[in-house]
Amino acid sequence: MAIPTAYYLILSFVLFLIGTTGVLLRRNALIVLMGIELQLNGGNLALLAFARQLGDQKGHVFAFLVIALAAAEAAVGLAILVGLFRSRESVNLDDATMMKR
Amino acid sequence: MNAANAAGAASPPVGDMIIFLIMAAWVAFFAILTITRRNPVTAVMSLVATFFGLAAIYAALSAHFLAVIQVLVYAGAIMVLFIFVVMILNREEVAPLSLRPMRLLGVVAGVYLTWTFIGLAWEGVPPKTPLPVVSETYGTVASVGDMLFREFLYPFEAISLLLLVAIVGGVVVSRSHQKEVAAQRAADYRKQVEELASSDFPGKQEELPASGGGHH
Repeated sequence: MAIPTAYYLILSFVLFLIGTTGVLLRRNALIVLMGIELQLNGGNLALLAFARQLGDQKGHVFAFLVIALAAAEAAVGLAILVGLFRSRESVNLDDATMMKR
Repeated sequence: MNAANAAGAASPPVGDMIIFLIMAAWVAFFAILTITRRNPVTAVMSLVATFFGLAAIYAALSAHFLAVIQVLVYAGAIMVLFIFVVMILNREEVAPLSLRPMRLLGVVAGVYLTWTFIGLAWEGVPPKTPLPVVSETYGTVASVGDMLFREFLYPFEAISLLLLVAIVGGVVVSRSHQKEVAAQRAADYRKQVEELASSDFPGKQEELPASGGGHH
C-alpha cells in the first residue's frame, strides 16, 4: 500500500477531533473515557504514519507504550467511575462537584 | 509496491486508494457513532469496530505487530473492561449533550483548527513525498521486539511498573466503602440522639421542672 502519509495524518487528526468532541460535549463519564481512547488512537496513528514515512521502527515502540498507557488509564479511569457511581449513584459528570469550591 | 515507490511522484494506485478510503470512512463513521450514541453498550461496540478498522490501517502501514496488539489489547482487553463497567452501571442518560451557546465558539475554533491542520499535513508531508522502501521485516514482531528489548528496555520496564501501580490504584479506588459509610452513619445517628437527649424539650420543662434529668 503506497498511500501518501498526509492522508494518514488527516485521518489521525479526524480521529483526535472526534475524540475531543466526545470528551468536551458528553456528560456520561463512560463516553468521555471512550473519547480519550479515541484521542490516544489518533496519536498512535500519527506515530505509525510518521514511522512508515521515515522508515524507522521507533514509532512502533512508542505506539506500543501508548497502548500500554491506555490500558493503565482505562483501568484507573473506570475504577474512579465505579467509585463515583457508588457515592453519587450517577455517572453524569455534572454531578461530580465534590472538588468544586 | 516497489514500482509504485520508485515512481514516487505518481499518484497512488487507485485500488489501494479505494481500500484506504473505505477503511478511513469505516473508522470515522464508527468513531462518530461512539460519541453520539445514547446507549453505552452501542457506543462500546462502535468503539470495538473502530479499533478493528484501525488495526487494518496499521497493517496497511506495515505495522503488523501493532495491528495484532491493537486487536488483542484494545479490542480485547480494554473493551472487555469497558463492557464490564457498562454492565455494572447501566443508566440511561437524561441529557446526553451539554450544549451551551458558548460552545458555538468551540465549534468555530475546531473548524479553524481542522483547516489549519490539513494545510499543515499537506505542506509538511506533501502527498508526492515518496515513501521509503522498507525491508521485509519492517514492523514484524521479531524486529519490533528486538528494538524494544535492546534500545527501549528501560521504558519497557517503566511501563510494567506503571501497569502495576494502575492495578493497585484501580483496586484501591473502586473498593467498596459501604462498611465505613455505615459506621459513619451510625456514629452520626448516635451523636444526634445524644444531643437530643441532653437538651430537654421546652414543653416538658414547664410540666416537670424537677425531673428533667430522668429522661437520659
